Amino acid sequence: MSTHTQSLSLTDRIGARTVAGLMALVIGSILVFGVGLANSQTLHDAAHDTRHSYGFPCH
Amino acid sequence: MIVRLLLAALAAGLIAGMAMTPAQYLKTIPLIMQAEAYEHGEVPHSHGETENAVAAPAAEATGHGHDHGAEDSMLGFGRFWDTVLANLVAGAGFALMLAAVALLTGIGFPEGRDGVTRGLLLGAAAWFCVQLAPSMSLPPAVPGFPYADLGDRQGWWVIDVVASAIGVWCIAMRPEWLVKALGVVLIVAPHIWGSPVPEDLSSEVPAYIASAYAAASLATTLFFWLLLGGLLGSFLSRVPEEQTA
Repeated sequence: MSTHTQSLSLTDRIGARTVAGLMALVIGSILVFGVGLANSQTLHDAAHDTRHSYGFPCH
Repeated sequence: MIVRLLLAALAAGLIAGMAMTPAQYLKTIPLIMQAEAYEHGEVPHSHGETENAVAAPAAEATGHGHDHGAEDSMLGFGRFWDTVLANLVAGAGFALMLAAVALLTGIGFPEGRDGVTRGLLLGAAAWFCVQLAPSMSLPPAVPGFPYADLGDRQGWWVIDVVASAIGVWCIAMRPEWLVKALGVVLIVAPHIWGSPVPEDLSSEVPAYIASAYAAASLATTLFFWLLLGGLLGSFLSRVPEEQTA
């Protein structure tokens, strides 16, 4: 793409890699927290074997 | 480009997460099952709750029951599919975080074999930070093991993973010797500070299961992280740089 759009989006200012990186960091943290650390009984039971296998502190 | 980067990471994570389920059923989950048999024997749980699987409905309990009947599983299909789902979510989550580290620290993936190699190195570094480093003070534990307070252990675990990651970055990515030395300090410090240790170390679970389990956990997760890193390197190298959205 040779021409940029007019709007000064976040992407224009800090770069697409950084935006993608930050988005990946946020979404990834939420997923890992939900599987590995969230203190919910339902999540714990469902992810039980996964938590143990990955060495997350569990119980 | 952003969406393609995220999708590339997601694809790598889902494949690696999918591959993790058979690996776990081969190595770790049989040991978890064995340990649970001892746990349910009649050992009082370290949390002090009555853990009679037959009596109270697990949904009511505030503690940590381990009732894995099909009826109270998350999807309703039973323990196996819960684990499949959890592994997919964990794979996606770890993949996104690994991709985030690569993107934010400026690690690029050249096309072809070099990209894969770099991904493998990144995966190995992540395995060190997320698995090996915490396990040196907080070994991967089977059910029925003596436990320190969960919140304390989770706090220490998160701090150790983050400190190890920053430490590895300092050592691998920065040329200054002082920063490299600081990286070593960051990796070692949480272990000197010490992880939460249970007061009573006695357990009904046989030592053989415990040691086999710790090794199995580290081995299966090494497989996971290398696969994830290699796939991530390969997939991210195919996302063209100057492309919007």
